[in-house]
Amino acid sequence: MKVKRAINQVAAVAKTDFLGVLRNKTAIFFTLLFPLFFIVIIGFTFGQSGTTETSSIVVGVVNLDGELIAVNATNSINGTIGDLLVEALESANFTIYGYDDYGDRDTNGTAAYAISRGDIDAIMVIPANFTETLSFQYTDNLGAQVATQSHLQLHVDPTDTTGALITQQSILGFTSAFVKQYQQVAIQQVPADMQSYIQVLADPITVLVSDAEVTEEELQWIDYMVPGTLGLVLLWSGLNHASMTIATERTKGTFQRMIIAPVSPTIVLLGKFISNLTLVYMSGFVMLVSGVLLFQVNLYWNIPVIILAMFLGSLSAIGIGLIISSVTKNEEAANSIAVIISVPLQFFIGAFFPLTMMPEAAQVFGEALPFTKLVNIMKDVMTRNLPFDAVIPELLYLTVSGIILFSLGTIAYRIALKRL
Amino acid sequence: MNDIEINSVTKRFEDTLAVNDISMNVAKGELFGLLGPNGAGKSTLTKMISGILNPTSGTIKVGNYDIQKDSMKVKELLGVVPQDIVLYDYLNAKENLSFYGRLYGLSGKKLKERINELLKFTQLDKKAVKRHVSTYSGGMKRRVNIAAALLHEPQVILLDEPTAGLDPQNKHALWEIIQSLKSQGKTIVLTTHMMEEAEELCSKIAIMDQGKIIALGSPSELVKKIKLENTITLVPDKTSARLIEEIKSISGVKNAYTAQDENEKTETIKVITDNPDDILSDVVASTVNNGTKVLSVQLSRVTLEDVFITLTGRSLRE
Ligand SMILES: Nc1ncnc2c1ncn2[C@@H]1O[C@H](COP(=O)(O)OP(=O)(O)OP(=O)(O)O)[C@@H](O)[C@H]1O
Ligand SMILES: [Mg+2]
Repeated sequence: MKVKRAINQVAAVAKTDFLGVLRNKTAIFFTLLFPLFFIVIIGFTFGQSGTTETSSIVVGVVNLDGELIAVNATNSINGTIGDLLVEALESANFTIYGYDDYGDRDTNGTAAYAISRGDIDAIMVIPANFTETLSFQYTDNLGAQVATQSHLQLHVDPTDTTGALITQQSILGFTSAFVKQYQQVAIQQVPADMQSYIQVLADPITVLVSDAEVTEEELQWIDYMVPGTLGLVLLWSGLNHASMTIATERTKGTFQRMIIAPVSPTIVLLGKFISNLTLVYMSGFVMLVSGVLLFQVNLYWNIPVIILAMFLGSLSAIGIGLIISSVTKNEEAANSIAVIISVPLQFFIGAFFPLTMMPEAAQVFGEALPFTKLVNIMKDVMTRNLPFDAVIPELLYLTVSGIILFSLGTIAYRIALKRL
Repeated sequence: MNDIEINSVTKRFEDTLAVNDISMNVAKGELFGLLGPNGAGKSTLTKMISGILNPTSGTIKVGNYDIQKDSMKVKELLGVVPQDIVLYDYLNAKENLSFYGRLYGLSGKKLKERINELLKFTQLDKKAVKRHVSTYSGGMKRRVNIAAALLHEPQVILLDEPTAGLDPQNKHALWEIIQSLKSQGKTIVLTTHMMEEAEELCSKIAIMDQGKIIALGSPSELVKKIKLENTITLVPDKTSARLIEEIKSISGVKNAYTAQDENEKTETIKVITDNPDDILSDVVASTVNNGTKVLSVQLSRVTLEDVFITLTGRSLRE
């Protein structure tokens, strides 16, 4: 009977607490819609792939290749290879604007003018001797071929450093592939027994890049982000909500009225925990489902580990929330402290970007956070498809920190009961 | 037998002595009034009885259980209506009642029955029952606030200013409910700063001021305690010694004398009596028979307000 009564009480506390979220538009926004909103933003910003779409790179081409140029007193207006390069750029999906002139930034209609106004991302100047050089048209007086060089110029917009880098890399990559084709043609011209030497001279070192075999599926950035958002769920729906519940109820007096009833403080705590845990799972579910439905994320669904890790992570998050809720005088104070703690923490748990991008001290701090461990576990099982035993150390870390933080929270709650 | 025993209880908040060494008992079935001005310490005392606050010193027993040692037993016995409305405003009346009922261990059919009974008591119509409490009027909220404390049929009920903010009609309706609870044998502690309320309802009253009980007794005992009396003040067109003698001879009249009205410089007749309502007509009749015109009559009863003013030199509501 006692047990039945206790269950009934826990259920009543949990239900009332949970309805408090479901029927509060602000709370719903922050626990369920905000994550959704967030994932949509991440999805549309980074979702497409890890590399930048070439179509978004606008290249202004100044093709001088067709222009008149004297080749050893022979005038040539041969521009076929320059045109070919432009065509190839276009077919590689770069957005191409043609210009007659490099010009200067003050002359409307020139490439320099366009890049100075941000209309284009880069300017490629194809030199007048481009075709001539690549087709070995230069000969000496005796009619023997003379090797000459032709300089393609690439100008990128320096005001946007990362953008410029991406643009530069993409165009260089493309151009070198294009040029390589012609290199091969040139090598064909050399006597057969010399070709391999020439090949080595032309490309003394080549770097072969390929993705290591980490996953079987090809991953996009959003696939990495979605598991990380579960760490954010802990901060938003766990830490934030837990820090509000008791503080709010104390401000409104419902907490006092609750403990007037013959209900033990443990039962109240348990009810609150269950409601909060439900909220965490619900919000995590919304995150994952929206990732799948909106962006077709490609993940491995190790449900038991996901559920277990979220539970252990919630102990830490709710523990911290309980401490905040207990030491603060009222709702507003609790809310401000929760925000002050959880908003900066978001950047230290490796959800938005890898911790390795941060200064040493920040990395050490970040690595110590249980939420970071949760993000790591989620990435391990959901993107790398690692088995349970691979994440045991991190699960243990989560367990220990969960027990410590939740116990501290319980102690703070007990102390708060004494000074209502 | 006493349902509440309070023994030298003191409550100190940092620099305020909210309750200062109070001892008092409330007998089983008594409707006990705690009357006092704002800040007297009434709510603090009730909060200590209900276990929200711990006394700085002293002991309290409810139903013979020490509130600290046997807190769970005490909590079962008590029904507490807080001064402020304490309800979940995002829940409707039914959900609020269900929540508090379940906290008190009610479930299933019993819970449903109690909720329905108390919903009747709240007089909410069917639509209102399903609306969130945040949409209720002050009176509706008050009634649900009280109902939430009665689900588990407590023996001892603490009502902290239950009629605050109610219109006269609702107030009287609530008084009837309180009286019906008393007639069911419940022990009730009613906190109020309205003397009419205490006078109307309570069989015993403790007047509190600045953390102390300054007077304790039934309303009539309290009135007797101070040496003020009920007075009928007549303004006649003329007075005579014979008229005074005639009035004195009316049975129920303790004394009669003429007095000078301070403002208007007219003479008035003061009649001292225990029961002014009964003899008023006799006094007026004999004055008229004497050939004297009665210009005005004023009746002043000694109230708990007078008791309070006499004891403290201050008015109850300021
Ligand atoms: N939590 C608290 N902290 C500090 N002082 C308090 C606290 N609660 C009450 N007091 C003080 O104790 C005194 C008694 O307050 P209490 O609420 O008991 O008065 P009351 O008789 O119920 O008044 P009212 O008629 O206004 O409800 C007041 O001076 C009040 O300011
Ligand atoms: Mg009060």
